[in-house]
Amino acid sequence: MIYMNYIAAVILIVMGLYTILFKKNIIKIVLGMSIVDYGINLLIVSTGFKEGGTAPVFTIREFVAGTFFVDPVPQALTLTSIVIGACVDAMALALAVKIYQQYHTTNADEIRRLHG
Amino acid sequence: MISYVHFPVLAVMGIFLGAFLEEIFGVHNKAARQGILVATTGIAFLLICALVKPVMFDGEVISYWMGDHVPVSGYAIGIGYEIDQLGLFFALLVVTTSLLSSIFSLRYMERDGMLGRFYVLFLMLCGAVLGLTLTGDIFNLFIMIEIMTFAAVALTAFRGERGFALEAAFKYLVLGSMGSSFTLAGIALLYLQCHTLNMAQLASMLHGNMTPVSVFAFGLMLTGLSVKAFIVPFHTPAADAYAAAPTCISMMFSGMVNKAGVYGVIRLVYVIFRAIDLPAMQVLLAIFGAVTMFIGVTMALAQHDFKRLLAFHSISQIGYVITAAALGTTLGLSGALFHAMNHTLFKGLLFLCAGSVLYSVGTTDLDRLGGLSKKMPQTTICFLIGAFSISGLPPFNGFASKWMVYQAIYAKAVESGNFLYALITVVAVVVSVMTLASFIKVTQAVFFGQCPVSCAGAKEVPLSMRIPMWVMSALCVITGVFYNQVEAWFLRPAVSAAFNVTHYIDVMMGEGTAAAFGISNVKAAAASFSYWDPILWLLLFVVVMAATGIVIITGARERGRILTPEGAEEDGKYATFFSGEKSLPSHVSGSDLFWGFKHDWKSYFRVMQGAHSGIINDYALWVVVGGAIITLWLTVFVR
Repeated sequence: MIYMNYIAAVILIVMGLYTILFKKNIIKIVLGMSIVDYGINLLIVSTGFKEGGTAPVFTIREFVAGTFFVDPVPQALTLTSIVIGACVDAMALALAVKIYQQYHTTNADEIRRLHG
Repeated sequence: MISYVHFPVLAVMGIFLGAFLEEIFGVHNKAARQGILVATTGIAFLLICALVKPVMFDGEVISYWMGDHVPVSGYAIGIGYEIDQLGLFFALLVVTTSLLSSIFSLRYMERDGMLGRFYVLFLMLCGAVLGLTLTGDIFNLFIMIEIMTFAAVALTAFRGERGFALEAAFKYLVLGSMGSSFTLAGIALLYLQCHTLNMAQLASMLHGNMTPVSVFAFGLMLTGLSVKAFIVPFHTPAADAYAAAPTCISMMFSGMVNKAGVYGVIRLVYVIFRAIDLPAMQVLLAIFGAVTMFIGVTMALAQHDFKRLLAFHSISQIGYVITAAALGTTLGLSGALFHAMNHTLFKGLLFLCAGSVLYSVGTTDLDRLGGLSKKMPQTTICFLIGAFSISGLPPFNGFASKWMVYQAIYAKAVESGNFLYALITVVAVVVSVMTLASFIKVTQAVFFGQCPVSCAGAKEVPLSMRIPMWVMSALCVITGVFYNQVEAWFLRPAVSAAFNVTHYIDVMMGEGTAAAFGISNVKAAAASFSYWDPILWLLLFVVVMAATGIVIITGARERGRILTPEGAEEDGKYATFFSGEKSLPSHVSGSDLFWGFKHDWKSYFRVMQGAHSGIINDYALWVVVGGAIITLWLTVFVR
């Protein structure tokens, strides 16, 4: 167990959520979303860690019984999650640019034509 | 002849392949674009329908390991698809909605540009939701949720020249990705506990070994999936996105995207964590469901925009589904699934009618519509069928499913002696009445009354838009009249599958796995399916209508003598007051029909409209608070 990673992951997630909840600039909200993503990526990759394990990269011949390596599945999940997070950021920033062109502001308090 | 076990994965892959073909061939060529669209959704429809006989009628559960990576010594190492009756039930809703929506979109979207890209996203959305209902792997479920959210956000922003579409898309993206993040965090914690991602294996390992971490993971995943189902503290992006998206997409949002969330919640609570037996779990979901239906319908009463109003009704109807599913009885889950199916049918129909109005008039503002019944008679009839269905009038399908829901909640109240359920029964009935009231307002504002200048040029929509509307209308009536067949052929297998966890585990992980983990099926009370007879209710309805008609006819002589300036000219008595001027025709506008009710409740509406402030930070706060409530509740009460 590596407690530091879990604590750091929770701190990152909370920081990201704080940014989404309390920052009014929509660019900062997008940054908050990506900080939450980073926290979760750290959380996932930490779940596969084993003390003293090697990297899970082998050819068939190297792979013998008793080889001790870290769990590869969370690393695959983290890669997927990083890709998805990058796409979310790209799309959110594209939308933010388009919103700025139409509303001439990035302040969340003024982007509320749809309400009630 | 390939075996039908390949059909589900072929259906999902076919749709995604269609999306890529759209990008290659469909960007410039209209015939190729439309051909690929209808072919892929049609093929997926046929493939899924071909599974009805083996899965629904013969009771087989299909397991399919990608690349034939079967479990090794009890551990699932590959990605598996598992198609049980519950998943197939939702898959049928998905393929039906996507086929009808694609046919509708052919003419509806003809005035837009960039259609090749539109259909790429369209097919990605269909494929993602279909994959979500068929998958047996929890990370695959997350991937499908993400593709679904992405495609849905991009489609919401599709008509981005109207600024509010971008705004709605941005809010949907922020809240949707918060929901996805919660789900992913839950999946990570669950993997930490069980070291597997397969749903069947998770179900076998979690039963009886709920650690605090897995309960916390449960809370996070339930929050994430509730965001996708648009249950009340998380419903705010739904109202914006449904109103801003092109109508064929709104229909898909309401018909399958929020059903995907509902499916996820049911799968999570019934199968993976099997927490539905716990009274605390039932109370939590039932309260969320009841609040959802009430807030949804009251917000709908305050709306001025046709599509935004339908969006709030959509949220309200999901409340019925969640409440009924929360009960944990066979009758409750039957009612939930039946209402989910009916909601797909009638809300899809209503959105298509709204889209037809938008297509021929160019606005969905209720205050600028009116008198369309003469210009668009077929749309009016379809809309009335949809409105009667959603309001729960016999013999339409909404009546049958709502009746089941009422009876299930009331039976639960009697059985458990909990006053809360009696209260929720009353709320459900009141919400149904308010739904009817709201649809009277819409019908009056859009299709009857006087025709303003903006509606003068309206024409009936083209045939390819009317076909999906008529198909859905027909299905609304058929499922309402032949409810017994629907129940026996579709609901009973699906409900049994949700409760039959041992079979779900055994099919995927090998015979005897569930027994080895000491899992027996959740005990479900035997359902009594002898509840209603819509024909009798129809007779009662006819009698009441006839009585009303007689009163109106006999009262007609006195009724309707209007003291207008014309009348004033005849006897000259009122001429002084009108100075000979002709009065303008007065149109009771859509927002005014229930002004008395709104006046009485004005403090409530002020609070609710303040809460729906349109500011993204507030909505995000709702999500976090809702998630905190769910997680805390589960941590305290679920062991």
